[in-house]
Amino acid sequence: MITPPERSAERDAAIDAILAHVPFDGWTLRALHLALAEVGLHPDDAALLFPGGAGDLVEAFCDLADRRMVLDVAAMEAPPARLGAGVSAAIALRLARNRAHKEAVRRAVSVLALPQNARIAVVCGARTVDAIWQAAGDESADFSWYTKRVSLAAIYGATVLFWLRDTSPKEADTLAFLNRRLADLGRIGALRRGAEALLARFTPAALRPVPPAGP
Amino acid sequence: MNDLRQPGDHTPADRIAQMIRVDHAGEYGAARIYAGQLAVLGRGEKGDLLRHMAAQEAQHLRAFSAMVRDRRVRPTALLPLWHLAGFALGALTAALGEKAAMACTVAVEDAIDAHYTAQAIELGTTEPELKQTIENFRTEELQHRDTALAHGAEETPGYRLLYRAINTGCRVAIKLSERI
Repeated sequence: MITPPERSAERDAAIDAILAHVPFDGWTLRALHLALAEVGLHPDDAALLFPGGAGDLVEAFCDLADRRMVLDVAAMEAPPARLGAGVSAAIALRLARNRAHKEAVRRAVSVLALPQNARIAVVCGARTVDAIWQAAGDESADFSWYTKRVSLAAIYGATVLFWLRDTSPKEADTLAFLNRRLADLGRIGALRRGAEALLARFTPAALRPVPPAGP
Repeated sequence: MNDLRQPGDHTPADRIAQMIRVDHAGEYGAARIYAGQLAVLGRGEKGDLLRHMAAQEAQHLRAFSAMVRDRRVRPTALLPLWHLAGFALGALTAALGEKAAMACTVAVEDAIDAHYTAQAIELGTTEPELKQTIENFRTEELQHRDTALAHGAEETPGYRLLYRAINTGCRVAIKLSERI
């Protein structure tokens, strides 16, 4: 797990309050001051809570969304049985939570797109896909840990951009888009298994990989 | 863990994650070394001995894989490298002869013993469960080393050279796997 940013009730409250102001003022100090006044904190706390400015705010916003997504999936009445369904459910719950804050997410994406925030963008993305796989119940302890996260990062990024332009009720179009992308990914897996089965026919038993660790 | 942490040092949680990452990588590599040796010597008279040791390493690997999962530690990105390098090391030394394979085992297990001992000392009184696991595994790794010594590891030609090369390689691999 990538080291999370500072987590505190004050920061979470400030993020929740700022979301209503971001569409008008952006991820700025002005919006933060308004938000802090709403939750009963002194405006001077702004520099103490988010010393890094806009980048810090967006990072905290992403981290809060990650944590809520994991909790939301854990609280589902019928937990998804398959990994793919778990990924889809986790992203659906995350988008549903942010439905009212689409403009804030759009502004957050543009903050992360700035070159000086490239590091934060990468870290936030990595943390988010890690959280999605965690919520989906992934248990990989081999190199697929990396391939899973990289492929999901591409899919998740595309899904968020699609969602920002999506006007369908309950983001139905976005979820359909997401499920098509996940199905594409499944096809790569099937292709790989086919290739491996073919290769195994020509490989001596001794050269085959260590079987995946099971109980 | 120790109280002499300086500003900029890793947090205790980070250190634990590093330990589990490198231990997982080490047991993965060890399992691959024995797989390489078995590929060459599997049908020889040392086959059963190697299979017994390989089974123990597989068990260690399972234990650390479970920790990687449960504690959400990132596994090392060098796993594909250890996958190949471990197998190559095992197969090459086994191709040099049974005694060279045993010398390889001694060199590897010595490096692992030193590494586990250092970890156990660093853990001190924290993480008793992890420490107990490490101690248990260390005992078994030492048994492997003693078995290998009893099977004439030191009689192989160029033993010191082989030992030094492999032992150094292992220590470099340990350093790399902690971080990457």
